[in-house]
Amino acid sequence: MQIEDSDLIRCPICESVNIDQSNINICRRCNSKIYHHQFFATERPIAYLVTALIAYIPANLYPMLITNQFGRVEGSTIIGGAIMLWEHHSYTIAIVIFVASIVIPLFKFLTLIYLIISVKYPLGKDKKIDKHKLYYFTEIIGPWSMIDVFVVAILSALIHLSNIEIVAGTAATAFAISVFFTLLCAHSFDEKLIKD
Amino acid sequence: MKIKNEDELDDYIICNRCLTLHKKIKIEYNSTAYCMECNNILYSNDYKFINEGLSLSITGLIFFIVANFFPLIKIEILGHSQFITITKTILSLFNSGFYIVGMLLAFLIFIFPLMIFIINILLFTLLKLNRGEIITKDLLILLAHIKPWSMSEIFLISILVSLVKLISYASIDIGISFWALIVFVLIDLYITKRVKISQLWDIREVIYANRR
Repeated sequence: MQIEDSDLIRCPICESVNIDQSNINICRRCNSKIYHHQFFATERPIAYLVTALIAYIPANLYPMLITNQFGRVEGSTIIGGAIMLWEHHSYTIAIVIFVASIVIPLFKFLTLIYLIISVKYPLGKDKKIDKHKLYYFTEIIGPWSMIDVFVVAILSALIHLSNIEIVAGTAATAFAISVFFTLLCAHSFDEKLIKD
Repeated sequence: MKIKNEDELDDYIICNRCLTLHKKIKIEYNSTAYCMECNNILYSNDYKFINEGLSLSITGLIFFIVANFFPLIKIEILGHSQFITITKTILSLFNSGFYIVGMLLAFLIFIFPLMIFIINILLFTLLKLNRGEIITKDLLILLAHIKPWSMSEIFLISILVSLVKLISYASIDIGISFWALIVFVLIDLYITKRVKISQLWDIREVIYANRR
């Protein structure tokens, strides 16, 4: 049996090496479907990405955290919270929040858009950017944007007094959904489509 | 490339970072093979890991139970003291009507990490006893599906961030649960780093091949 190296694909579940036969490949070791579609290559990641982008808008407009201090109600958005921490001289935490909830999601959106476009149109052929590395990197940093949602959950559970109360805002839901869908988008993207 | 049948493909491995094809070679015990292109770990010869993995998984599960049922942080504001546990954090989100975030949190920091450790224990026990060829296959598939969705380490960092946010408002006591969670996360990271899913499949194949 003669096969080309480029016809070999990796099962995303059990990581075994398989021969790329047609549009639907079943892994020979774990029987999972290996996504390698010729006609619907990027539809699913695009759908997830659009959902994530839509959810990202209310995530930035609505308050993430609502503080009720002696009857004075104050809401702070994602970026507002980071700025407030910076003004209170908690620089490290301000940077952590800023990176986790602003830099990482934006970086992920841009990378995924870039990768999806480069499947159809020959972008970055000059090999200045290593796309496999880029994809791997987005998968690694992706979940870390959940930090802000977790912090809101902890604070709202912890501070529940009659005078001082912290409640999660609408943005928490929107942001969590947005992050969830970017993760789905990254997972559903077929690595084999990245061309060098 | 010429191969006789599909099973020969087991001698090959594709790097999960840069998708380069490599032919597997026999390496000595306790040594590791790296990708030539990107220096990523491909596989290592570590067949004795089953015993270690089993004991680590059981330890991890015990620490996980401790982390979930004891107070995580205790604070004191204006004479009122209050504490949270991990489960209480999730439930309070449900109580205040944040069902979606609550569900996500329940899965990401409670159900999935718990499942991973239970799966690990079952898997290593079955591999050790040389039994359940079909069950281990299903377990490995399930493990691969939920592994990327377990976020205990991110939750740990979030706790640290919230502690710093609170430090100017209230006096804080760190509970047993926090330390248990740190140990749990370290064990989780160690197991993930030490043994890759593809390697577990290889170990499984060797074990059941010997049995036949």
